Amino acid sequence: MHIEIDEISKEFGSTAALHPVSLAIPSGALVALLGPSGSGKTTLLRILGGLEFPTSGRVLFDGEDATALTVQQRRAGFVFQSYALFRHMTVFENIAYGLRARPRAQRPAAAEIARRVTKLLDLIQLPDIGARYPSQLSGGQRQRVALARALAIEPRMLLLDEPFGALDARVRKELRAGLREIHDTTGLTSVFVTHDQDEAMELADLVVVMSMGRIEQIGRPADIRARPATEFVKSFLSA
Amino acid sequence: MTMRPLINRSPLPGMGLSAGITLTMLSLVVLLPIGALLLKGATAGLPALWTEVNTPRIWGSLALSFRLSLIAALINLVFGLLLAWVLVRYRFPGRKLLDAAVDLPFALPTAVAGIALTALYAPNGAFGAIAKSFGVKIAYTQWGILLALIFVGLPFVTRTVQPVVEEIEREVEEASATLGASRFYTLRRVVLPMLAPAAMTGFALSLARAVGEYGSVIFIAGNIPLKTEIAPLLIVIKLEEFNYTGATAIGIAMLLISFAMLLVINALQVLSRRRIGYV
Amino acid sequence: MSDTHLRFRPVATEPAPVRAALILTSVAFLAVLLFAPLIVVFVEALRDGAIAAVASLANPEAASAIRLTLIVAALAVPLNAVFGISAAWFITKYDFRGKALLITMIDLPFSVSPVVAGLCLVLTFGANTALGGWLVGHGYPVVFALPSIVLASMFVTFPFVARELIPVMIEQGRAEEEAALTLGASGWRIFFTVTLPNIRWALLYGVLLCNARAMGEFGAVAVVSGKIRGQTATMPITIEMLYNEYLSVAAFSLAAVLALLALVTLTLKTLLEWRFADQLAASHHR
Repeated sequence: MHIEIDEISKEFGSTAALHPVSLAIPSGALVALLGPSGSGKTTLLRILGGLEFPTSGRVLFDGEDATALTVQQRRAGFVFQSYALFRHMTVFENIAYGLRARPRAQRPAAAEIARRVTKLLDLIQLPDIGARYPSQLSGGQRQRVALARALAIEPRMLLLDEPFGALDARVRKELRAGLREIHDTTGLTSVFVTHDQDEAMELADLVVVMSMGRIEQIGRPADIRARPATEFVKSFLSA
Repeated sequence: MTMRPLINRSPLPGMGLSAGITLTMLSLVVLLPIGALLLKGATAGLPALWTEVNTPRIWGSLALSFRLSLIAALINLVFGLLLAWVLVRYRFPGRKLLDAAVDLPFALPTAVAGIALTALYAPNGAFGAIAKSFGVKIAYTQWGILLALIFVGLPFVTRTVQPVVEEIEREVEEASATLGASRFYTLRRVVLPMLAPAAMTGFALSLARAVGEYGSVIFIAGNIPLKTEIAPLLIVIKLEEFNYTGATAIGIAMLLISFAMLLVINALQVLSRRRIGYV
Repeated sequence: MSDTHLRFRPVATEPAPVRAALILTSVAFLAVLLFAPLIVVFVEALRDGAIAAVASLANPEAASAIRLTLIVAALAVPLNAVFGISAAWFITKYDFRGKALLITMIDLPFSVSPVVAGLCLVLTFGANTALGGWLVGHGYPVVFALPSIVLASMFVTFPFVARELIPVMIEQGRAEEEAALTLGASGWRIFFTVTLPNIRWALLYGVLLCNARAMGEFGAVAVVSGKIRGQTATMPITIEMLYNEYLSVAAFSLAAVLALLALVTLTLKTLLEWRFADQLAASHHR
C-alpha cells in the first residue's frame, strides 16, 4: 500500500512535536524513521497507526484520505516498543486475538484460526511456544511474537516502534535479518522507528532523518551517507 | 503561550461513557450533598451561623475534638514509624500476623470497636480495673476518647511509611556508616528525613479520620457537655432537636478547620519534597 | 585479627538489644490496642454460653438488621465498583485538564466526617428540603428510608475502588489497550479481555475494603436512618440500641458477627497481598 503524509503537524499543548511534515512512502518499501529522542519520529508513526491525532494535515492510503479512519479501520499491524503483549494470555491467544476480535460474520472458524496461528509461529521460527506465556519468553522471542500478532490481522501495512530497542546487541543483529525476511515474503509496506543509524542504514530501502519535529533528509542509505543534506544529518551520522 | 487543550483526543473508546458515569455519580453522591450543606449555610447567613457556633459548649467540643485528634495523630505518628520499621526490617516469629493485624481498625466496624474498648477500659473491665487500682479512670474521660482515636487512626502512618522503608537502599545507610556516623545519627539524619513526607501523609490521614470519628468514641466518651462531648456528637444532638441551622453551623466549622489543617500539612509536605525530592 | 571478626555486625541495622526492645514495644502496643478489644468482643458475646449468644441473634430485630445490612451492601458496593472502574478508566486512559482536581474531589469523603456526610444528605434529601419534599410527595422518601442508608454508605466508601485501581492502571500503562485497538478490538472487548484481567485482583481488593466499611458504617447511617427498629436499623445501629438497653450479650453477639466479617476481610486481603502483590496498588507492595 502506498502511504502519503501531507503536511502533518502535531502540537501537545504549547509545544510542537511535529512541524508540518510531508512524506511519500512507495508501496512495498521498508522505511526507517531515524532520529534522536524527541525528534517526533514516534509521534509520526502513531499518527499513521491512528493512535494519535494530527493537529492539522492529512494521511492518504493508496490515494484515499485516511485521516478520519479509526484505529480499527486502518488495519495497521503495529509492533509496540514494549511489545505490549497481553500478559495473561498464552502466545497462541495473543496471536489469535485480532482474529477472534472480528465481528462474528468475518471471524474465521476456530480450526482456521489455529491453522493461521501455527503458520505464523512457523514464520517467526518459534513453532513450539504457543502454550507459553509472555513472561516465559526471552526478549527476542517476545519481539517476534509481537510481530506475528501484528501480522495475524492481515494488515495493510506494518508499523514498528523501536522494534529492536529493548534487545541486546547480538539478538538485535539476528532479528534485523528476520524482519527483512518477513518484509520480503509478505511484501507489506513497513515503517519502523529507530535511533540507531546502523540499523536504519542496513535494513531500510528508504531512510527519513528527523530532528526537532522536522524532516531533515529523505533518501536511500547510500545517498544519505554520501551526501548529508544538512549540518544536523552530518553530525548525527558521525556520532 | 497557548493553553493545554481541555481534552486531548484519544483513539481509545469509552471516554464519554466513563466521564459521564464518573461525573454523574460524583455529583449525586458527594458534590450535591456537600453543596446542600454550604447552601444551607449561605441561606442562614454568617451572623446566624456565628450565633449558633458561638456558645461555650460548641467551642468546647470543637476544641476537644481537634486537640485530642492532634494528640492521637502524633502518638500514631511515633508508633506508626516504629511499626513500619520493625515490620519491614526485623524478622521475628509472628511478624506476618502482626503486619496483617495493623489493618484491623480499617476492617472492624467503629461501633464494634467502640463497645469493645468501653468493655475493656470501663472501671469494671479487664484493663479499666488495673487502671482503677492506680487511681486512673480511662473510660468516660478524655483518656477514653484519646484511646478510641488512636485506635481508628493506627494503620495510616504504618501503611504509608512501610513501602518507603522497603525502598531505602541499604547502601545509603552503609555509606553513612563508612563516613563515621553512629547508627543513631544515621537513623536521625539519613533515614528519618527520607521517611518524613510519607509519614506526614499518614499523619494527615490519621488526623482527618480522628477529627470526624463518631462510632468508636461515643460509647467510651461518657458525653458530658464541656468535658467529653465531641463535635460530631453535637451535630447529632442538634439534628435530634431539629435545629438544622445549628447542625449546619457545626458541620461547616468542622469542614473549614479540617481543610485548613490539611492545607497546612500539604504545604509542609511540598516543602519537604522540594528539599529531598520524591521518595 | 580474629577479635575484629567476632565483633563484626552488619552496619545497616541496630544492636540486638535495641531490636528486641523495639519489637517488644510494637507487640505490646498492638496487643493492648488491637488484640485485646478484638478478644473482648468474643468473650462478652459468649459470657452466658454459646447457646445464649446464638439465641440472641435469632430474634426478629437482629434478623432484620442483618438482612438490611446485606441489602445495603449489595446495592452500595456494586454501585461504587462501577464508579471506581469508570473513574479509573477516565482518569488513567485519557489526558485532560483538571485531572488533579477530579482526583481531589473523589478523595473528598476521606476528609469529611461521616456525621457531616449524614448531615449533608439530610439537608439534600430531607422531607423539609425542596428536592426531598418533592421526592416524598411522589412516594419516594429518601431520608429515614433505605435510599439514604445506601447513599450514606456510598459516600463514606466512595474513593475505595477508584483509589485502588488508579495506581495499578497508571503502572500498567495504555500500551496493551492500544495494541488490542490496532488488532481491531472494540471498546467493550478491550475492557473485558485486556483491562479487566489485568486489574481483577486490585478490583477485588478495593471491593473487599469497600464492603467491610459499607457493612460497618455507623456515624453517617446513624444520622440518616432515623434508627427505626426492624426497618432502618442496620447491624451497627442495632448494636448501639442493644448496648444502650444493657442487653450486653445480644449487642456483643451481633458485634461478634461483624468482627468475624472483619477477620475474614483481613484474611482475604492478606492472602491477596501475598499472592498477587505485583498486581495491587504500589502502596500495598510488600
